[in-house]
Amino acid sequence: MASLPPKHRLQQGSADAVGGSDTHHDRPRGIMRWVLTTNHKEIGTLYLLFSLLMFMIGGVFALVVRAELFQPGLQLVQPEFFNQMTTMHGLIMVFGAVMPAFVGLANWMVPLQIGAPDMALPRLNNFSFWLLPVAFTLLLSTLIMPGGAPNFGWTFYAPLSTTYAPPSTTYFILSLHIAGISSILGAINIIATILNLRAPGMRLMDMTLFVWTWLITAFLLIAVMPVLAGVVTMMLMDINFGTSFFNAAGGGDPVLFQHLFWFFGHPEVYIMILPAFGIVSVIIPTFARKRLFGYASMVYATASIAILSFMVWAHHMFVVGLPLVAELFFMYSTMLIAVPTGVKVFNWIATLFRGSITFEPAMLFAIAFVVLFTIGGFSGLMLAISPADFQYHDTYFVVAHFHYVLVPGAIFSIMAAVYYWLPKWTGHYPHLRLSQWHFWLSIIGVNLTFFPMHFSGLAGMPRRIPDYSLQFADFNMISSVGAFMFGLSQLLFVVIVFMCVRGGKKAPAKAWDGAEDLEWTVPSPAPLHTFEHPPQYRPVEH
Amino acid sequence: MRKRHVWMTAGMLLAALSSHTLAAEWNMPIGVTDVSREIYSLHMTIFWICVVIGVVVFGAMFYSLFRYRRSKGAEAAHFHEHTMVEVIWTAVPLLILVGMAIPATATLKKMYDASEADLDVMITGQQWRWHYSYLGEDVEFTSNLGTPREQITGDGERSEHYLLEVDEPLVLPVGKKVRLLLTSDDVIHSWWVPDLAVKQDAVPSFVNENWVRINEPGIYRGQCAELCGKDHAFMPVVVEAVEPEAFEAWLAERKAAAEAEASGVDREWALDELMERGEQVYGSICASCHQPDGSGLPPSFPALAGNQALMDDSALHIDTVVNGVAGTAMPAFSTTLNPVELAAVITYERNAWGNDTGEAIQPADIAEMMAE
Amino acid sequence: MWKTVKSVLAAFFGVQREAQRREDFTSGKPISFILVGILMGIILVLILIVVAMTAAG
Repeated sequence: MASLPPKHRLQQGSADAVGGSDTHHDRPRGIMRWVLTTNHKEIGTLYLLFSLLMFMIGGVFALVVRAELFQPGLQLVQPEFFNQMTTMHGLIMVFGAVMPAFVGLANWMVPLQIGAPDMALPRLNNFSFWLLPVAFTLLLSTLIMPGGAPNFGWTFYAPLSTTYAPPSTTYFILSLHIAGISSILGAINIIATILNLRAPGMRLMDMTLFVWTWLITAFLLIAVMPVLAGVVTMMLMDINFGTSFFNAAGGGDPVLFQHLFWFFGHPEVYIMILPAFGIVSVIIPTFARKRLFGYASMVYATASIAILSFMVWAHHMFVVGLPLVAELFFMYSTMLIAVPTGVKVFNWIATLFRGSITFEPAMLFAIAFVVLFTIGGFSGLMLAISPADFQYHDTYFVVAHFHYVLVPGAIFSIMAAVYYWLPKWTGHYPHLRLSQWHFWLSIIGVNLTFFPMHFSGLAGMPRRIPDYSLQFADFNMISSVGAFMFGLSQLLFVVIVFMCVRGGKKAPAKAWDGAEDLEWTVPSPAPLHTFEHPPQYRPVEH
Repeated sequence: MRKRHVWMTAGMLLAALSSHTLAAEWNMPIGVTDVSREIYSLHMTIFWICVVIGVVVFGAMFYSLFRYRRSKGAEAAHFHEHTMVEVIWTAVPLLILVGMAIPATATLKKMYDASEADLDVMITGQQWRWHYSYLGEDVEFTSNLGTPREQITGDGERSEHYLLEVDEPLVLPVGKKVRLLLTSDDVIHSWWVPDLAVKQDAVPSFVNENWVRINEPGIYRGQCAELCGKDHAFMPVVVEAVEPEAFEAWLAERKAAAEAEASGVDREWALDELMERGEQVYGSICASCHQPDGSGLPPSFPALAGNQALMDDSALHIDTVVNGVAGTAMPAFSTTLNPVELAAVITYERNAWGNDTGEAIQPADIAEMMAE
Repeated sequence: MWKTVKSVLAAFFGVQREAQRREDFTSGKPISFILVGILMGIILVLILIVVAMTAAG
């Protein structure tokens, strides 16, 4: 572990270039350096490595699922274990891979982009990271408990997750609590940093879109993580202390669970996509060598999406038996979200229009993001049509939809961010040829995996089944082949990152000629301490 | 009113157009009810709207990517906002959405109007089977997965309707408005038949309403759509739609069979008779959790073979099966099974796999116990 | 006040002119935007409810 992250040469070039100096002389060495670190760059690295590890573990679970679904019939695993795999895959990917990756990127890049010396609350930062390994060790340990791991899907609908759940569910609740605390603390830290530590002269409206989207995301996190904490606590009480919040036999209400869960869950979806919007809005202008089109609209559309995200939760519950008025309300409000989301896509394209475009790996992933996220948006629009949702609901069409927005959406944006900022982190460019291979293998793999799911879903295949009837066999076989292709090509990603840390073509401070943000004014690799004396920020004049 | 009509026609037209281009197994079925046709046309309308937007958006994008490559000497322009353009591309999608919401609202209102039904059927989800009850007709039965275990494990040739076949289908009359009342005995299930465009959650302690009026006789297959535990994939729905006369005849036949079964309660049953009947019941109801050989899946589903606690105490055994065990996955079978079936399956469990207690539990005793 | 409402409306719509945004962020007080934003969020919900109830008949 200690060999992987960039070894910052403490003296290198920082003092003269950014007016900083290294004041920490007796820093702990070895493993303790990482355990005790309060440096935003080191903590960012820890977050990113942790999420990469979780991405691999969650990916293995997904491959178990896809291997079982390669053919009809039960070949490799029993339904009990299959359900544990789908559940753990979802939980690990959402809470362990995507969210920590974005927090890691925020840790690294928010201070650099706003000209701050570090995060506002460095010790809290350390704490919020180290909660994560605890939470996920706890979660993964349920796999070896009697009765197995949680098996009720990542949405853990009661009463399947309460009265009928395996004994390990209490551990699952505890681990979600810990991960939730970590998220809330991380969000507080990011808000405090953005609002207080901007370089003199930098107003809110001068911030990059990445910082803006993270500011809004952080508020979403603070608003909804307590709701998740509340709902899992109610489950805890139902399971262990004899309450009946969700237990029908005791006068409880199973549908209440879904309302609470999705009141958290829908903003959660935007928590996983808004920072992606920010990343893409930073990368596309760089490689189009043209300022972002409609910056103001981008900020406003992000805010608009965030507000609307609290008004649409029950579109996940169209077939649960809502009254007609509620059904209509949530259909209309959900359709409204398409508008600001469309604005974003149009703005990216207008940024490309009449630019001077090159196709570095980061740009390839960003372009793929725009196209494939939009496809996910289209299926989202279809799902919003409540009468049609009676057919789509809980089928592979939904699986296709949310994987399009999360894999070539959120995860591609993370890949794009890594390729974009690796020169800043390590001082080296990632290997170009291998990165291109990684991109093309990933994009083919992703589409091979998830595009056929639209068809199997429309043709009537429900989600979360370990075995299916024969007419779905071809689609599933293609999906499984694609999934293994996508999964294996991520090993290439690990190799590329590893190689980049060890060496490669040297990157200058301004690694991309079209990059204009503050982080490109500090040396590459960024020294451990940057902006110890705040830079004087001069906004771009129009 | 007129506007809605125009939209509907446009949708139908697009739907007709596309039904030629997309094979059935690649797309949502058009189905056999008026509602399913409307949903299909909504689906195809929104699909084609997305296709058109996609062509425009991706067209503009790939044009830009191709035309403005730096390798071809493209110089970046300096514009970065244009309020008019932005207002247009915000307002146009808004109008499209309003246009889409109007027919969707109309269809939804139809789907929600379950009034004036000709027949009421109560559908109860149970882990992992469906129980159907024709309200006011005294006919009820349980519908289990019809696919044999060997086919699932790969030891047998798979049948045409693998996993989409049941022992007893739900029989419904065509041309009649049938109200479906859905609930569940345990966790949330979802009753779904794509051809009927009915998908409705079965939630414990709630009764959800939906309805269906089938236009064509036939067999329509679907399955549970909401994750409900380990055998979620193995609780299919099969609806057999028949002409009303055939339906009446079937109903009469079922009533007679139920009466015959009820009369069996009072007589004395021999051990062999009970064992034979019990093996059937065990195979379709109990074996998915407690396993065909009675070994169970501890800790969730205890073993029955060699279960001393149960074998020493027949009253406990009967109580467990009839009333279930609160707070565990063991449901009460008093609503699912009749006294003959209960007696038979308990007898079977007490004598199979080396349990050999030699006891025959009589249906009359169970009936008496349930009456209390 | 009317200017704040207009800016918040622009935010809901998702389109805003650069100059106006600049103006808002320079002269406006954040708290007034937040309050108006919350108020208009509630109004949006109420409008949607009324529309849904009318449509449901």
